[in-house]
Amino acid sequence: MSYSVDRRGFLRVSGAAAATAALGLASCSSDTSGPVTLSWWDYFTLDNFQPGMNRLIKDIEAGVPDVRIERRTFPFAELERQITLGAISGDLPDLAIVDNVSMNTLGGSRLLADLTARVDAWGQADAYYKGPWSGCQVGGKTLGIPNNSNCLALYCNTRMLEAAGVEPPTTWDELAATAQKLTSGDRYGLALSAIRTEEGVFQFLPFLWQAGGDLDSFSTYGATALAFLDELIAKGSLSEQCVGWTQQDVNTRFLNQRAAMQINGPWQIPTLKKADFDWNVVPLPRDKEAATCLGGENWVVMAGSKHVDKAWEVLEYTQRPSVLVPYLVSFGELPARKDLADRGSWASDPALRLFLSQLPLARPRQYGAHYAEASQAVAEAQQAVLTGSASPSAAARTAAKKIDKALGEQ
Amino acid sequence: MRQPSARRRRAGCLFCLPGMAFLALFLAYPLLYNVWTSVHDVDLGQLLGGAERFTGLDNYRTVADDPAFWHSVRLSLVFTLSSLLLQFTIGFALALLFARPFPFNGLLRSLLLTAWLLPPVVSGTLFRWMLDAESGAYNALLEPVGLSHDWLTDPSTSLAGVVFANVWIGVPFNMLLLLVGLHTIDPQLHEAAAIDGASAWQRFRHITLPLMRPVSVTVLLLGLLYTFKVFDLVFVMTGGGPVDATRVLSLYVYEVFFTSFRFGEGAAAALLLLVVPLLAGVLYVRRLRREDEAPTGGAV
Repeated sequence: MSYSVDRRGFLRVSGAAAATAALGLASCSSDTSGPVTLSWWDYFTLDNFQPGMNRLIKDIEAGVPDVRIERRTFPFAELERQITLGAISGDLPDLAIVDNVSMNTLGGSRLLADLTARVDAWGQADAYYKGPWSGCQVGGKTLGIPNNSNCLALYCNTRMLEAAGVEPPTTWDELAATAQKLTSGDRYGLALSAIRTEEGVFQFLPFLWQAGGDLDSFSTYGATALAFLDELIAKGSLSEQCVGWTQQDVNTRFLNQRAAMQINGPWQIPTLKKADFDWNVVPLPRDKEAATCLGGENWVVMAGSKHVDKAWEVLEYTQRPSVLVPYLVSFGELPARKDLADRGSWASDPALRLFLSQLPLARPRQYGAHYAEASQAVAEAQQAVLTGSASPSAAARTAAKKIDKALGEQ
Repeated sequence: MRQPSARRRRAGCLFCLPGMAFLALFLAYPLLYNVWTSVHDVDLGQLLGGAERFTGLDNYRTVADDPAFWHSVRLSLVFTLSSLLLQFTIGFALALLFARPFPFNGLLRSLLLTAWLLPPVVSGTLFRWMLDAESGAYNALLEPVGLSHDWLTDPSTSLAGVVFANVWIGVPFNMLLLLVGLHTIDPQLHEAAAIDGASAWQRFRHITLPLMRPVSVTVLLLGLLYTFKVFDLVFVMTGGGPVDATRVLSLYVYEVFFTSFRFGEGAAAALLLLVVPLLAGVLYVRRLRREDEAPTGGAV
């Protein structure tokens, strides 16, 4: 269908018939005529993200015909809430970059546009790592495109390990032994975040998966994982304070050399490059299996947008290597695409390379609409055990009940 | 007094309109919307579709059946009562101190007030740092006497840590209002009692305390309203943790709303959060009216 109605033409037509026609046109002609302004929300508020983001938006406006981007940023914890409130008030963007874990809540809510047909026609699904890509699939539909990816690995203070005569650990047993050897005075062998938010759960889930379990078998394998961490605290290799630490706090401990090893993500690399000691990164130690948790963001289009086609055009455009690589490099993030493995700074930087090598193992937290409640149960179990207020098996049983209830509700 | 003419009364009503409109828009509407939400099954998926189901009192039942809710109610009560008690007694003691003239009285008083002027997010962050087990100032002080402790990360003491911060914030406010109250007491009463041989304690017990009753009630009520709905301070200091040791009612409501996205249950719990301050408010207003109606005889 093609309409050629300009303003003068519109004014020439009169009467009720014209009004009806105009109403009909307003809704479907928007993608075909004149520049389209797409509103875009994200939570990249920090200064160091702005040059990359501005460049990306300029790139889009130059490369995608007739499109303008109107960007708004929110603090990290605010974005999902704003989208929720927006759903009530009807004030939602066309495009958003959301945390990949938000796909659980947003995915089942009819808030996100179904991109399945467009993605199928596009035919590039195979170019992505499995974890990030499956993180965009909800109920058999594609509801987003990975923006960037990250995962967790183990940072080691090289000199401390050498001084203690130990190698970076590769298994749980080695991790426990190494952490104990590296503990002395006010220095802990290992630091990790066990804070009572998704951040702590993000750090805990790898242990659960490495033990061979998952959320649906929490009473057994959750207990194993919790007992392992509990033992680290009992031996003094891990500070009980970790129940209050964010990943940023953990990195500060590592930077101050008050922790010999830390579990953290690639976003700490820029800060750590300024450290005056040597460090390296190794994969998370394994137990029954190797596993790490997938982090990062996804691009989504809101179902209520009047410009879904244009928004998709923008997403497709951003996935060109010439646009995506400089964007990811400026953000210090990893690509979710396998075909970019040999481009960008991650091709040469050994730490980034290590993280990239872990992406195929990285699992998304893909558990459905009530994941947040399950996650809260996990966080509380972890806190109860690490603060000594419950035994691992009791805490795991309590949490398992809540998790089963939450995940059984979908 | 002359009765105002009908015309003047109508003009009076007109002047009230903006205020009424404001209240309707920003108080009545959200409140009614909240009540509506609390009797419907609303989650994120239904917000857009308008498929909310009327569920009667189901949400209230679910909330009442949740042990975590009652746990948070208990925490809120403990938090509020202990904060009020400490704030009030310390505030009263300081008010008595500052009621006497001494050098730098005014300067010290205004310095103390800054504690109350700081946004709770700022003071909460400061206390989180100062109570930190490893690098906190308090433990550095307590270490030599063997009393250092992981205040905020030990579930058995974290609530005490938050109460401590809240008391620190609340004391200056209590002090200021009580000080104003003390100034309204006629010094001649004390002089007369002293001449009659009343000891300082007797004068405090039989003159100061009874005359301070109205001010004290106001101070305690304001403290109750502020403390019972506390959110920012606790959120910043502990986020409700460790485990659920500081998840007071407002944090419970927040989590039901914004972590679980169960809007119906959240609205029900939020209304229950309103009950305590509302009851206190009603009691207070009734008391005020009784005092207004009571014949005012002499000074005492």
